[in-house]
Amino acid sequence: MSAVTEFLQQVTEGLGSGAVYASLALALVLIHRFTGIVNFAQGELAMISTYVAWQLVASGMSFWLALPVTLAVSFAGGMLIERIVIRPVQGAPELTVVIVTVGLFVFVNAMAGLIWSFTVKDFPQQFPDGGIDLAGVRVDWSTLGIIGVVAVVMGLLYLLFQHISAGLVMRAVACNPASARLAGIRVSRVLMLGWGLAATVGAVSGVLVAPVLFLEPNMMGGVLIYAFAAATLGGFDSPVGAVVGGLFVGVAETLTGAYVDVVGADLKVGVPLVIILAVLLARPQGLFGRAAVERA
Amino acid sequence: MSEPTTGRTESAESAEPDFLKVSDLHAGYGQARVLQGLDFSVARGEVCAILGPNGAGKTTTLRALCGMVRGRGSVTLNGTELLGRSPEQAARLGVAHVPEGRGTFNDLTVEENLRIGAHLRTGLGRRGRAGRAAVAADLERIYDYFPKLRQRSRQAAGSLSGGEQQMLAIGRALMLRPSLLLLDEPSLGLAPLVTRELFEIVRAVNEEERTTVVVVEQNAQLALDVAHQAHVLEAGRLVLSGPAAQIREDGQVAEVYLGVSVSSRKAG
Repeated sequence: MSAVTEFLQQVTEGLGSGAVYASLALALVLIHRFTGIVNFAQGELAMISTYVAWQLVASGMSFWLALPVTLAVSFAGGMLIERIVIRPVQGAPELTVVIVTVGLFVFVNAMAGLIWSFTVKDFPQQFPDGGIDLAGVRVDWSTLGIIGVVAVVMGLLYLLFQHISAGLVMRAVACNPASARLAGIRVSRVLMLGWGLAATVGAVSGVLVAPVLFLEPNMMGGVLIYAFAAATLGGFDSPVGAVVGGLFVGVAETLTGAYVDVVGADLKVGVPLVIILAVLLARPQGLFGRAAVERA
Repeated sequence: MSEPTTGRTESAESAEPDFLKVSDLHAGYGQARVLQGLDFSVARGEVCAILGPNGAGKTTTLRALCGMVRGRGSVTLNGTELLGRSPEQAARLGVAHVPEGRGTFNDLTVEENLRIGAHLRTGLGRRGRAGRAAVAADLERIYDYFPKLRQRSRQAAGSLSGGEQQMLAIGRALMLRPSLLLLDEPSLGLAPLVTRELFEIVRAVNEEERTTVVVVEQNAQLALDVAHQAHVLEAGRLVLSGPAAQIREDGQVAEVYLGVSVSSRKAG
């Protein structure tokens, strides 16, 4: 295998994991756009959604039927959490809200452990084994499948926001909630929808990554850090940035793991932290984000 | 008594003098009590100007009408109580508020801003072909009032000039097909010429659509040109009320309360 093919092989694998980070980062960015909240519990919500999918499959449902059911449950769950956990602290100081989402993180994690125990579960691989050969680069069906699913999710979000009136209303709320209310929009309902949507997009990342990482309550901890790096890199208010950032972080992770001996497999979890730090120092608003301007 | 050269001497001849009726309105922010009991009425189809110095409570009055601040007393629109309602409920009752600082959706295009204004009429279950056609017709109507917005329909609202943003804010409010239009300091930060143009459009809208308007302004001259009735607010109380033309004539009184010379002051 030539050096170039080897390199492309690594990039391909990086894109596969990057797609997973992209989808969780997308969930983070959605909530941040709508509510200004950084949701530390996003990964845990994805994890519990994955357990729901696992439970459905374990009780005999086919995966491709369990998936839409899981997404619907996640949507409802996200709306419910906004209503009962987040809305009471909406408008509270930022630190209060951060602590509430951290609390949600701990609570959801413990609940998952209580219900399903902390033992590792095998999550069925939904894509066939094997893959295709592209000019010497082997692309697994699972990698292609993950990228394909995330691409579909992105496409659907694009359709929603750009071509459907509900999406226009959501963008208006994200942009200027006070004016949205004056136009008769029930902003609190839209925020609920935003949380539901984010939980659904996050659930996709959980379900995609579970066959690789194996299912356990702490499964999404690492993914969340990569997603944070992705969202920071892309800009916390930019969905496109989240996706580009996710893919970049995935590739960076794989490449440093493969080529930088010091880093290797053990230290590559440090990659997202280096990325976060570098972005915050050089361009705090991220690649696609806009600098926050406080009007005097 | 001489006839004013401009301004509106004609009344809207409304059969409903109490279309908007404000009785003993108190409102404030936390401990600060801004409004100390306002009483006034606006007849259907009329333009009412609320004038007064900074801090008199003009903006608070409008915010109380649209539910942005809590008020005590009573505010009825066509007999329906408005106090105690949220801004989105007030909007559903036909109150369109153009806030101070315009409140446009800067990430959205001009046309998207206008479509958001029609949100209440295009929401779920009201889409249909007829609904869409009505919204398209309204868009045309707004573009006819504000030709500049038509040219910029695909631009982000954030890229517009201040005057264009104010036009967009008013256009968006009109897309609601409001029965009551509230304008908060439309002249704020705008060049005199732009301000004059805006008030001419407000007058045209009022004449053609018979929309009832309450406008809050520091630029008394302009507001009085457009208004039928006017009230002067000072320290949370109405100190002077009457037909706009009369207040305009009574320059000395206005000068005392407004701190400006109404008759000689230039626009801007």
